[in-house]
Amino acid sequence: MLLIEADGKALFAEQGIPVPAGVVVTDVVTALPGDGPWMVKAQVPVGGRGKAGGIVRCGSKAEVEAAVGSMLGGRLKGHAVDACLVEAAAVGQERYISVMVDAASYGLRVIYAAAGGVEIEESGSAEGRLCAAHPGAVAEALEDLLAGEPVAWRDQVAAIGKAMATLLIDKELALVEINPLFVSESDCVAGDAKVVVDLNAVERQPVIAAMIAARPVVYMDANRKIAEGFDYVELDPEGEIGLVTTGAGLSMMLIDELVARGAKPLNFCDIRTGQMRGSPARLIRVLEWITARPSLKAVLVNIFAGITDLGEFSGLLAAAMQASPGFKVPVVARLVGRNAAEAKRILGEAQPGMLVTEELAEALVRIDTIVAAAS
Amino acid sequence: MIGSLSRATPVIVQGITGRMGRGHAALMRSYGTNIVGGTSVRTDVTEAAGVPVFPNCAEAVLATGAVASVLMAPPLETLGAVREALTAGIKLIVTVAEGVPIHDAIRIGRAVRRAGAVWVGASTPGLAVPGECKLGFLPDVCLSPGPIGIMSKSGTLSYEVGYRLAREGLGQSIWVGVGGDPVKGVRFADMLPVFFDDPRTKGIVLVGEVGGVEEEECAEAYARLGARKPLFALIAGREAKEGVSMGHAGALVHGETGTLDSKTRRLTAARATVFGSIDELIKRCVRFCLFDRG
Repeated sequence: MLLIEADGKALFAEQGIPVPAGVVVTDVVTALPGDGPWMVKAQVPVGGRGKAGGIVRCGSKAEVEAAVGSMLGGRLKGHAVDACLVEAAAVGQERYISVMVDAASYGLRVIYAAAGGVEIEESGSAEGRLCAAHPGAVAEALEDLLAGEPVAWRDQVAAIGKAMATLLIDKELALVEINPLFVSESDCVAGDAKVVVDLNAVERQPVIAAMIAARPVVYMDANRKIAEGFDYVELDPEGEIGLVTTGAGLSMMLIDELVARGAKPLNFCDIRTGQMRGSPARLIRVLEWITARPSLKAVLVNIFAGITDLGEFSGLLAAAMQASPGFKVPVVARLVGRNAAEAKRILGEAQPGMLVTEELAEALVRIDTIVAAAS
Repeated sequence: MIGSLSRATPVIVQGITGRMGRGHAALMRSYGTNIVGGTSVRTDVTEAAGVPVFPNCAEAVLATGAVASVLMAPPLETLGAVREALTAGIKLIVTVAEGVPIHDAIRIGRAVRRAGAVWVGASTPGLAVPGECKLGFLPDVCLSPGPIGIMSKSGTLSYEVGYRLAREGLGQSIWVGVGGDPVKGVRFADMLPVFFDDPRTKGIVLVGEVGGVEEEECAEAYARLGARKPLFALIAGREAKEGVSMGHAGALVHGETGTLDSKTRRLTAARATVFGSIDELIKRCVRFCLFDRG
């Protein structure tokens, strides 16, 4: 999961990687760092903010206030903007540097490019080295990559690269990227911070855990996963079809197919029926979250049960529906696997007229009909 | 190793006295897998799922001659359990835990490579040679011997595909869940030579996802190895939210990396076929098996 820039930079500062003076603004602009110019940056966990209008250079306090005012409360690339980072604009030439886990070599990949900027991925000017997962190996790789750099800042960049590697290893990160890294004879400073954390390691990474817990809105999906033990991602707060599904791949494919036919799914969900152990708690939570969106028109349940007993699952679903008084929309259930006939009987009693089918195509057609009738 | 799995291959289950271990050991046995024993930290249990329980892999291997292990340890204990299996001489390790940290996975990958073993995981529903054996928990309802080789990042989406293919009369030769983790053991590209050399396999189905570069890597290997058998691909996650892992830690799109577009372009250029829906994939496989092969 990608951290917002402000959190990435907090990790950088702690690791001794220089960052510009800055303040996080969630409301009104008070004190500004330095005398300007400043950069105002929307704090959303997504790349490409600059192109989308989420990064603005300002020459006066009035411009900063205007930029913050226009960003806060809005949305950027699908994410709500509830904080801006206001920084002293850095100066110098732009470079690109990153350290990441390399899956194929079971080690790290270090990439350095003498031209930074947002086009780096297409420009092909970046050079990379594979190395073992320890800071010494990264330092060696950097010696190679930095050979063409002026002495004036070569050592500083090498030190930053080594600190990035230490951070990546100690905090069990997937990626640490700085783009642009500003370099000059006086100093080198991280213009941006792109840090991807491994949610599977959070249990033994207290600093990262605290960072995620401190931002319940920005990291809503991650906090949900940590607290609930399963995946639920809101795709569109104005979505019309709530999904109660198990399995990440099948849930993603279902979303793709729904969107392709013009439907508006609300969420992604991998509820993991195998872990429910006779409790409707997870189902109640999911129904609560999807019911919270007034645009909801129908719920599609899609369970391919390899091991799960569908009779038991349906009993839990019926109990969850009963325990959710706000839940009033029609449900369509597509169930394949053990005890499908029993499931059909139980769900038919829970919501008379509910379509329970083994055919996905039939379920999707019924969803279309329900949504059309409700619109 | 994967291509030569059969009902004779001796397999142990690490963590066989746990709820999952016991249950899946029994299901694998009933499918026909030659489960010869298991391991457990519990000293009071000598038998589970009808097979002997040993205190560690070394003793289990010594007593049973096992060459493969299905590892049912929790995610943070998977690294230690893999090391134990490798030290005991196990040559095929299947790990099913969801949520093994990537830095542990790097260590597992290195240890497996050093030992000259094969690792399927970190998080996989397992693999199967239908009609012979299954290692893991691929649902029996989807398994049927036949001409299609399946490799998949997703468990459930492959169940859906395997089930619908089987309903059309198309079973599977070898089925491997490579799992949805960013750092893993066997990758799509590693499976191509296995499928190409396997006489039972006539066509290959790849079930991919957005995130990572495995599909791109597979496209490159497919072209390099001469596209010896048709490759049909389905890739989930066109509508995935950028910057957020969609259930699988590996299914993470940022910037241009890992997008559906990049994967589709590379696979298509390598003369594989990419489908936009499950239905289209199934129809094409049926047409291929009924007509194209003559």
